[in-house]
Amino acid sequence: MASHSESIIREPLITGKDITYAKITNDVLRPVENMPGKAWWIGFSVASLGALLWVFAISWTFWFGLGEWGLNKTVGWAWDITGFVWWVGIGHAGTLISAVLLLFRQNWRNSINRSAEAMTIFAVICAATYIAAHMGRPWMAVYSLPLPNQYGSLWVNWNSPLIWDVFAISTYFSVSLVFWYTGLLPDIATIRDRAQGLRRKIYSVLSFGWTGSVKTWQRFETVSLILAGVSTPLVLSVHTIVSMDFATSLEPGWHTTIFPPYFVAGAIFSGFAMVQTLLLIARKVLGLENYITMFHIESMNKIIMLTGSIVGVAYLTELFIAFYSQNEYEQYAFANRISGPYWWAYWSMMTCNVITPQLFWFKKIRTNIPLSWVLSIVVNIGMWFERFVIIVTSLHRDFIPSSWAMFYPTWVDVSVFIGSIGVFFTMFLLFIRVLPSVAMAEVKLLLKSSSEQSKKKLMEEGHVVPAEAEFYIASLEKFDSVDQSEYLKA
Amino acid sequence: MDSNKKYWKGLEELNRTPEFVEKNKNEFAEPLPIEELLSGSGLSAPTPRRDFLKALGFGVGAVTLAACQKVPVHKSIPYLIKPEEVTPGVANYYSSSYEGQAILVKTREGRPIKVEGNPNDVFSKGGLSAQAQASVLDLYDVNRLQNPKIKGVEAGWEEADAYVKKELAAVAASGKGIRIVTSTVHSPSTLAVIAEFITKYPTTKHINYDAVSYTGIIQANQNSFGKAVLPHYNFDKADVIVSFGADFLSTWISGEEFTRQYVSNRNSKSLANKKMSRHIQFETGMSLTGTNADARITTKPSEMGAALINLYNAIAGTTLAGSKATGSKKVDTAIMLAAKELVAAKGKALVVSGSNDVATQVLVNAINSLLGSYGTTIDLDNPSKQYAGNDATFVEFVSELNRGDVGAVFFLNVNPAYDYYKGAEFTAALKKARLSVSFADHADETALLSSVNAPNHHYLESWGDANAVEGYYTVIQPTINPVYSTRQAEHSLLVWMENPIKDYYTYVRKTWDSGLLAKGGLAGQKGWETLLQTGMVIAAPVAAASYTFSLDLAGVAQKILTQGKAVAANGDKFELSLYVSPAIGDGRFANNPWLQELPDPVSKVTWDNFAAMSISDMKKLKLEEGDVIKIDANGYSVELPVLAQPGQTQGTLSVAVGYGRTNAGPVGNNVGKNAYPFFSLSNGTFQTAAVASFKSSGYKSPLAQTQTHHSYEGRSVIREATFVEYKKNPAKGSGNEHGRKDYNAESLWDNHDRPVYDWVMAIDLNACTGCGACVVACNAENNIPVVGKEEVARRREMHWIRIDRYYAYNDHGDAEEAVSKEKEIDKLDNFDNVSVVHQPMLCQHCDHAPCETVCPVLATVHSSEGLNHMAYNRCVGTRYCANNCPFKVRRFNWFNYWNDARFDNYLQGEHTQLVLNPDVVTRFRGVMEKCSMCIQRIQAGKLKAKIEKRPLKDGEIKMACQQTCSANAIVFGNRNDPNSEVSKALASERTYYVLEELNVQPGIGYQTKIRNIVETEAQA
Repeated sequence: MASHSESIIREPLITGKDITYAKITNDVLRPVENMPGKAWWIGFSVASLGALLWVFAISWTFWFGLGEWGLNKTVGWAWDITGFVWWVGIGHAGTLISAVLLLFRQNWRNSINRSAEAMTIFAVICAATYIAAHMGRPWMAVYSLPLPNQYGSLWVNWNSPLIWDVFAISTYFSVSLVFWYTGLLPDIATIRDRAQGLRRKIYSVLSFGWTGSVKTWQRFETVSLILAGVSTPLVLSVHTIVSMDFATSLEPGWHTTIFPPYFVAGAIFSGFAMVQTLLLIARKVLGLENYITMFHIESMNKIIMLTGSIVGVAYLTELFIAFYSQNEYEQYAFANRISGPYWWAYWSMMTCNVITPQLFWFKKIRTNIPLSWVLSIVVNIGMWFERFVIIVTSLHRDFIPSSWAMFYPTWVDVSVFIGSIGVFFTMFLLFIRVLPSVAMAEVKLLLKSSSEQSKKKLMEEGHVVPAEAEFYIASLEKFDSVDQSEYLKA
Repeated sequence: MDSNKKYWKGLEELNRTPEFVEKNKNEFAEPLPIEELLSGSGLSAPTPRRDFLKALGFGVGAVTLAACQKVPVHKSIPYLIKPEEVTPGVANYYSSSYEGQAILVKTREGRPIKVEGNPNDVFSKGGLSAQAQASVLDLYDVNRLQNPKIKGVEAGWEEADAYVKKELAAVAASGKGIRIVTSTVHSPSTLAVIAEFITKYPTTKHINYDAVSYTGIIQANQNSFGKAVLPHYNFDKADVIVSFGADFLSTWISGEEFTRQYVSNRNSKSLANKKMSRHIQFETGMSLTGTNADARITTKPSEMGAALINLYNAIAGTTLAGSKATGSKKVDTAIMLAAKELVAAKGKALVVSGSNDVATQVLVNAINSLLGSYGTTIDLDNPSKQYAGNDATFVEFVSELNRGDVGAVFFLNVNPAYDYYKGAEFTAALKKARLSVSFADHADETALLSSVNAPNHHYLESWGDANAVEGYYTVIQPTINPVYSTRQAEHSLLVWMENPIKDYYTYVRKTWDSGLLAKGGLAGQKGWETLLQTGMVIAAPVAAASYTFSLDLAGVAQKILTQGKAVAANGDKFELSLYVSPAIGDGRFANNPWLQELPDPVSKVTWDNFAAMSISDMKKLKLEEGDVIKIDANGYSVELPVLAQPGQTQGTLSVAVGYGRTNAGPVGNNVGKNAYPFFSLSNGTFQTAAVASFKSSGYKSPLAQTQTHHSYEGRSVIREATFVEYKKNPAKGSGNEHGRKDYNAESLWDNHDRPVYDWVMAIDLNACTGCGACVVACNAENNIPVVGKEEVARRREMHWIRIDRYYAYNDHGDAEEAVSKEKEIDKLDNFDNVSVVHQPMLCQHCDHAPCETVCPVLATVHSSEGLNHMAYNRCVGTRYCANNCPFKVRRFNWFNYWNDARFDNYLQGEHTQLVLNPDVVTRFRGVMEKCSMCIQRIQAGKLKAKIEKRPLKDGEIKMACQQTCSANAIVFGNRNDPNSEVSKALASERTYYVLEELNVQPGIGYQTKIRNIVETEAQA
């Protein structure tokens, strides 16, 4: 995009020396064009074992009935909807990165958007499996679609948030898929151009006849922009609607107007954490340190800290409103979360989501790769607990005390959840083998303006104010992919 | 028009070329390549067309054959000639009787599917117990004995008859005794058969044996007044009732009848007249009756006698020798207060005791005599015949057996091998009898020991009669052909004694023709037919006379005190109190899954018995609920899980008898532990208290409870007031003291149209005793699956109606400041003063139903009659409705309860399914269900009115739960009709709606619980 020189004080988005367009292509396509290594095989084996566990547990459920889960007359949703919301939430980061950051011209998104979008799609698939699996009669799922039928005017219930969900999730999935695939077209064409034989044929079909002409690029840019425009409201709407499953109900602890913004913030929070979890590994294993740099890691950590704080404020607001409402059921619901039989879930949530992300105020911590990774996992755990707390601790003690009950998961509950993670990673690992995990075309756009080498060239050519150059060099210190010795000499 | 236009298909045709003309002579213009095909490579090609077709044909055929399963053959034989009275789809009702209580049996297409109360029944006027409701399921029990057996081998009836006759002849020749052991028989015909049997075999004696007997009362009446009878109590005539451990609303003598009587002084109608009886209960464990008492005083078994003596002293103004304080200050104070109240209500007072001790009952007689109860609240002249068992005669029978004096013994409706306190001794002794015949319909513990099993009919297959109370005669008529090759016991006896009348029907007719019909002013065939329709004959009652007690009580008091001392526990021992389970009774109903899954009305435990212990004791002993303890008493021990029972007397344990059957059938086998061996014999009667030691066994056996949180957290779900407050302001406590708030005023919703009917319900919390008969009635009416202990423990019982039972602690003896919040309860030390409330909870049919808005597929919708419908076929099972239901009354089919091997034993038997109500579908796995307000009954009622071209009458349609309620706590009807019963009930100032502040507009109004608490009790 921007072909002019970028201000020197901006940190580079691509590091390393002698980066050329060809090198970018070679680096990114290395996993696609070569046989997988040992690490991949190990990861894939574990993931597919998980996926098999999922298949087993889901088949078990379908064969014997939902009674194999730990649900009961009082707690009608537990790990199922917890898992559903968790996965949908994770998906949000992808859309935010690809759409919102594109509209805001945040170029650093270019190196992470592909993986993040792939993550979105796989996460939404995992979420969708929960929608089907949690139904008592999934074979009748078609009833939830407004299809013409022989029953006269029998339609779906437009009042039900679950119907809104059906539309929200299916729209989200289809738009995300189109957006992701559109972005993939130039990259697939690149693979096609470098491939031989059958591979070439396949990628040729997949590339939809991409020619790389100026007109094609121009249309590509336009479509991307339009899809970004279409996706942006989805970032807000999907989790808003998911939150309405709870917010429009009557249950104390669910019936809360704060839910839509709180859920959206939580979704972005968990999504970025998941992107972080995935990319910190992928970057190392796939050798993409020059394209996914410390700048990206730190930026994402900052977003995690911000959204974590928003979520924290939401938690405290909920508590305050429960107290301020003087509604005994609402008050009890929150007192019960804090000190009831599931207190440990509430405090796990508080610790993981509100307290530990605050560690990212320290630069040392947010630029520390192992710590960032651990904290991203902690956030994922915390966000799972958040949904568990909202769903189970609200349901298990609501209005009529005689029906208060505890929920205990069975092995099937646990297997379906662990299995869904397996399904997710199976898909993700297959993805990095067949498609470029970094948007090559988009990264190449940054090479001339925002890369370390272009900035270095600017400095060497003396176009830079020395004070700014010093500032710039100082900012490079945190980069693990920058050869610091080069700057010491200078 | 003439036209010479010519159409042509090609230039050849136009030009009529020679080739064209030539070719056109043939059918096919060009020759078909048949020869070429046959001679060429057509057939020898790698896969010629024919081979392909062959393979295809074979393939499809083979796959089709392989995929074919034998089409199941449904044996349904249509009526070739339709019986006149049977119309498919229309129910027939037959009058009959269950344990002497007149009932109506609903049959569909010739099979009984439900038992309902007869509205003219003298006991409960249409109400019916849970056991009676469940009895219909036993008819189809596949575990019933299906053929007679001789020494464990199935035989034909002729063979069995020959064997029994031969053995009887041998016994008669040897001169040894013959004994017919029955549970109490009050059937005139059966008694006549037995009498004739005795005439034929003079060495025969008839022994009435009741597992839980009332010998104490009968003997005491013999001693006091010379009448060995069980009196007929009139709780409706009592303004003050003091009960010493008698669970008279449930298991004591005639629970359903007493419930009706008792509630008549406490329900809306009575309250409207500013009248409410006062009920004081002294008891050890928390009984159903105790939960309803206005004042309940925890009393140890050992203190009961002394307390009664003190009560006598206080009323009579004397001091019997040996009188002393009970050792519990609370009991002593309460006794003085009770005495004052009883004396004040002279003539309208009643003291009852659950003790089976003769001396204790004699003292109770003395007290009642002083209070002028005879002739008013106690009727000795129209006695109850429900229990006539005499413990001593049975004990004597066992020693006769032991001595070898008995040659033949017949067991009818008794199971002493299980429920006799010395079961092992009995088992050994029985072997000495040459012939033992059991009429049991199951191979129960006694039947297994008997040389002959002559399985009796189920009562729904039988002819018979009953006379449960003096002057009240009911008839039993069969409603189905015998399901198995069984034969009525009386018939068997008639055959074996070679009576000229062998057919029991003829015999019953004879009995009725010779006297009984005349008592009701009936005669002849017409009279008999009338009887079969009405089901009963009520003879004019004898005027109840007043009796005066005039015996010396010194010896009696001495005996009572000795008895008390014998069960007083010292040191770390506990006093063990045994009681009858309100659900499965004395053990007879153990194989009935409906009753096993009926939650105990107090503890809400299903499928188990347990040791109830006070919370204070458990804290002291560091025991937790579900911890298994080994209880040792009277040389017998069992391991039972502990239940934390609020209101349990400290230092006592309560254990239910009736559990621990080993040969009840697959449902009841090994459910709980047998507590009968803890009984002891003292002064000629069985005693239900003992001194027990126990120790923790170190492991847990979690109880399956349908309710695990027992306090209502101070929420307005439960609203109550004291009687004093009520008299000042009837709306007190209902939340409507200052007028009714219209929560709907600011509603965003449009109201539903209810042009004709608006079906609603009113439930009087002051009438509901919490017995749970409605739960079983609903099970039977609506085909509700039984899920078993494990699933109940996982909180998945399917009951559409449940009775919520809440405890509140009156730590300071002040009900107004009752503690009902968990966090405050945790800080309490005193768990003795408990007030209890029962609240039937079912779908509230909200007009703004939260379930309806959230269902994605419109499977639950509102009707134009104010009902919340459930369309099972549409339901996809998201369970969102259940989550959003504030009352948590929706039930999800977690499994396919109707076709899943894990639930085999409950309602899936080959015959068991015949009990299902054909008007209600069974629900498949994965769909939600809930109370439908017996929609099938509403539809049937409307249809009937329509056919008869008349408007529907109020009260014509009754809900299953309402119908069986002896307390009439439930009223159902049309709110659009201002004169309907339900409209009147809902207009009461006491009416409130649960969670009305949510503006869900519930369709069920509750009337506040009123407690008749006397201010002075605060100090007690």
